[in-house]
Amino acid sequence: MLDKIKSLRIMRTLSSVKWAVFCLLALFILVFAGTVYQAEYGLYLAQERFFNSFVFLLFGFLPFPGAQLVLWILFVNLTAAAITRFQYKWSKIGLTVIHGGILLFFISAFVTFYYSFESNLTLNEGESSNVSAAYHNWEISAWEKATGKKSVIAYDADHLNSNAVLRFDDLGFSLTVKNYYPNSAAFSESDKKDAVRNSSGISILEERPVDHDPVKNIPSGKFVLTQANSPSQDIILFGGDMLPTQITAGAKHYELVLRRKRFELPFAVKLVDFRMTKHPNTEMAKSFESTVEVQTPLASREVIISMNNPLRHNDFTFYQASYSIGRNGEETSTLAVVKNKGRVLPYIATIVTFLGLVFHFSVSLYRMRAKDPA
Amino acid sequence: MKKNIIACVLTVVAVLSFSVFASAEEGKFPLQQFGRMAILESGRIKPIDTYARHVLLQFSGKTTYERKPALAWLARVIFTPTQTRDDKVFLINNAEIAHALGVTAESKRRYSFAQLEKGFHQLEMLAASANQIEPKSRSVVENEILRTFENLVLYLGLTDSFSFAVPHVDFSISSGNVVRMLQLPETQKEFTFLEIALHSDLIRPVADSLTAKNSSDWTEDEREIFRILSNMYQWSQYFRHLPLMVIPSEGNHEQNWLSPWDAMAQEFHSEKIKKEIIFLAELTRGYQDKQPIVFDLAAKKFSDSVRQRTSDVRSMRYIDLELSYNRAGYFVFSHIFYWLSFLAFIAFAVNGKLNLRFASFMFLILGFIPHTAGLIFRIIILGRPPVTSLYETFVFVAWMSVLLGIIIEKVNRKWLGNIVGSIAGVLLLIIAGKFSSDGDTMKMLVAVLNSNFWLGIHVPTITMGYAACCVAGIIGHAYIIQAIAHPQDTAQLRATYKTLLMSLGLGLTLSFFGTMLGGIWADQSWGRFWGWDPKENGALLIVIWCIIIFHARIANMLDELGVAAASIFGIVIVAWAWFGVNLLSVGLHSYGFTSGVAAGLIGYVAAQVVFLIAGVFWARKRLKI
Repeated sequence: MLDKIKSLRIMRTLSSVKWAVFCLLALFILVFAGTVYQAEYGLYLAQERFFNSFVFLLFGFLPFPGAQLVLWILFVNLTAAAITRFQYKWSKIGLTVIHGGILLFFISAFVTFYYSFESNLTLNEGESSNVSAAYHNWEISAWEKATGKKSVIAYDADHLNSNAVLRFDDLGFSLTVKNYYPNSAAFSESDKKDAVRNSSGISILEERPVDHDPVKNIPSGKFVLTQANSPSQDIILFGGDMLPTQITAGAKHYELVLRRKRFELPFAVKLVDFRMTKHPNTEMAKSFESTVEVQTPLASREVIISMNNPLRHNDFTFYQASYSIGRNGEETSTLAVVKNKGRVLPYIATIVTFLGLVFHFSVSLYRMRAKDPA
Repeated sequence: MKKNIIACVLTVVAVLSFSVFASAEEGKFPLQQFGRMAILESGRIKPIDTYARHVLLQFSGKTTYERKPALAWLARVIFTPTQTRDDKVFLINNAEIAHALGVTAESKRRYSFAQLEKGFHQLEMLAASANQIEPKSRSVVENEILRTFENLVLYLGLTDSFSFAVPHVDFSISSGNVVRMLQLPETQKEFTFLEIALHSDLIRPVADSLTAKNSSDWTEDEREIFRILSNMYQWSQYFRHLPLMVIPSEGNHEQNWLSPWDAMAQEFHSEKIKKEIIFLAELTRGYQDKQPIVFDLAAKKFSDSVRQRTSDVRSMRYIDLELSYNRAGYFVFSHIFYWLSFLAFIAFAVNGKLNLRFASFMFLILGFIPHTAGLIFRIIILGRPPVTSLYETFVFVAWMSVLLGIIIEKVNRKWLGNIVGSIAGVLLLIIAGKFSSDGDTMKMLVAVLNSNFWLGIHVPTITMGYAACCVAGIIGHAYIIQAIAHPQDTAQLRATYKTLLMSLGLGLTLSFFGTMLGGIWADQSWGRFWGWDPKENGALLIVIWCIIIFHARIANMLDELGVAAASIFGIVIVAWAWFGVNLLSVGLHSYGFTSGVAAGLIGYVAAQVVFLIAGVFWARKRLKI
């Protein structure tokens, strides 16, 4: 069976080393172009355009494979080569191990790319929370006001099109999108205040060009609120609203908000203390660290998170990401929260590949010396 | 014959060391103890000798002034400021700035304070408007204005920093009564701020009683006392926040160091600090009165007192070591020896005498010894791996490349290692020298880098990868030149090619491991293994390039000459990853990119491309392929 597969013409083609060389050249160009592009357009756009894409237009007109496509082809190429071309014998063990390690890198890239999420948690000293927020993904959420345990219904807001309908059936209303702007500014006009419903009194939205740094975008949208037994009404949700917008349906009150996507953590984190030290007589930070308390239903423990020294709990890892110190000295610490089931995979892949390389080149050196003694 | 070579080499060493010791003897005034005094600057405790070098380098682009060491110049600025007004130490690269300040442009581009003084107000306004502009988008001229302004401000600060120890007309006392009241020597007319401050308690009661009296009823003596005390107040207000933080605070002697003026303002109540300030005044007097013994002794007493208070501070223990590091100039020695090694090799290549090849190897080893010593000293002084700034990485990569050259020579035993080691040593140390002109090459690190473990394994690994790839590239040059010069000597060509492959393999292994270690470090501190950030991408490019060469070779897309050419291009990629990326982050659209480094990089790449095209073409013809 295996021999049959091996002898297939398509396998010979797929496993060609020339493919690998061309893919690597394409990757080389992508990495270089993606670096230069960053200087002008920022990291996020460079990633979207060169690395996360399958195909894009180089210089605006030349179709070029994105890194995702190139890496898929390389993966297929390497897998095919592993089936048909590799010689599994002791003299080639180094090469086999190297390529095994590289296959592991592909798997870890796949797992990380599709199955991990990043968010952040900003806490004041003494504050505790079990909800972390996304950096630049937004959601529209609604819940009934004044019920004990909040049950929140949320829609992903990043790709809303005009005329899309968001149904909140359990709450008895729905929203139809009139306009949605990924980045915007909002204004209020005193005479039109009551025409549109909004918690901050906003009546006009203005679209803004999307910022290179996606964190800086503040989206907004104009919606039509439809309820049974009452006339439809315009409603504005702005990413910068301080409070949720109130809606009344029948005898019940609801709250509606456009906000950064929330993730509920299976435990709470409390910031006990934040400390920063500087190099003597300079403004240059030497270290930051946060003392936090991880509160699970069963037990709680205190941990120090500092630069290069994260907290790991279940699949979650917390990193010291940022901080701020207010005018009155109140300290706020921002922790990056990452959930990645594949986080040890690149570690293993690194070690495997490295050992393979060391072994292979040592053996080559030994053979070279043995063959022609200088 | 070999004996003769060794004798020659030893003669060169002797001459060189003599010249160094001779230059150390320069300057009649004994400054050793003064240079040994500790100072806290830019977050690091260092000897004043180091500080003087950095300040002078920052001012003038050189570490000596009129062939005298920086320390001698700094002593003059601090203790006899008026004598330095005509020293041409301020480097202004742009003639237009000199014109704007009303000074005629000098051919050496260095100006004295007396020349620039008239335009100081103008400069202040220019600097204020340059300061409004974001650092990234400042032009070369704007940066130069800011630099000049900061230098002048620092100079002025330095000239005032010891004024408390100099008699001044503001503290002249004509009334014998007041002098007696202060218990000061009656023979003296003018006093120093410090002398009055030390005795001011004696006239305090009189001063306090003045508030109750109408000023018209004050006696002559009372008026005198009032004048002196109000001058004291004004001086203490005026001379705040000056440079030269040489006095560790009593409360926090590790973090908080004070300039003499600030120490008097804040901690004069402490007996120890009072004593130290008195030593500084003795130091000033010793210098001004040209009494070397008084000067030296005061510096020693001051240092002893500070050292006694800071014996638990790590960096205080390495002050003397840093001094000897400064004096020895290890890398200068290495550089000279690498040049000699290179010249000996060229002579060997021309006339083929084996002795010259041996001499070349000897010089390589001789350069390598101080190079290693210098690196070890830096590691001990800073307590961290020597790879945290571009300057340091160049020194380190040079060291690694020479080491590889020596190993290749031991293995190959022909000549290849000599040329690889000497070329890499000479060129990389030249570039390192360019980067050292920023000032302090021993800077403090930002928080994320402040981890000795990761810094110690990731950065050295990746820079060793740079070195191995550079070595492979140099061997690539050697291969092409060899193919042109001796195309029929296939055995030699083959040997060079194999060494090239091994270096490339080492380069791939180290670059790969270093890059992935960087990923692991990033995962440890930021939570992501890979983020396509410019520095990561640069390192990845080297790895991809090495992989491409090895696979293209297997797929018969590159022959031996092709591999050599591709390895040469590998150096271009290393240069890009190493510092090209840093230029990019300054911003392609700012003038930063036209600075010397970028121009050098572009020139280098152009030269390399020309060599590649012409060399490969010619070599193909000679090899008949």
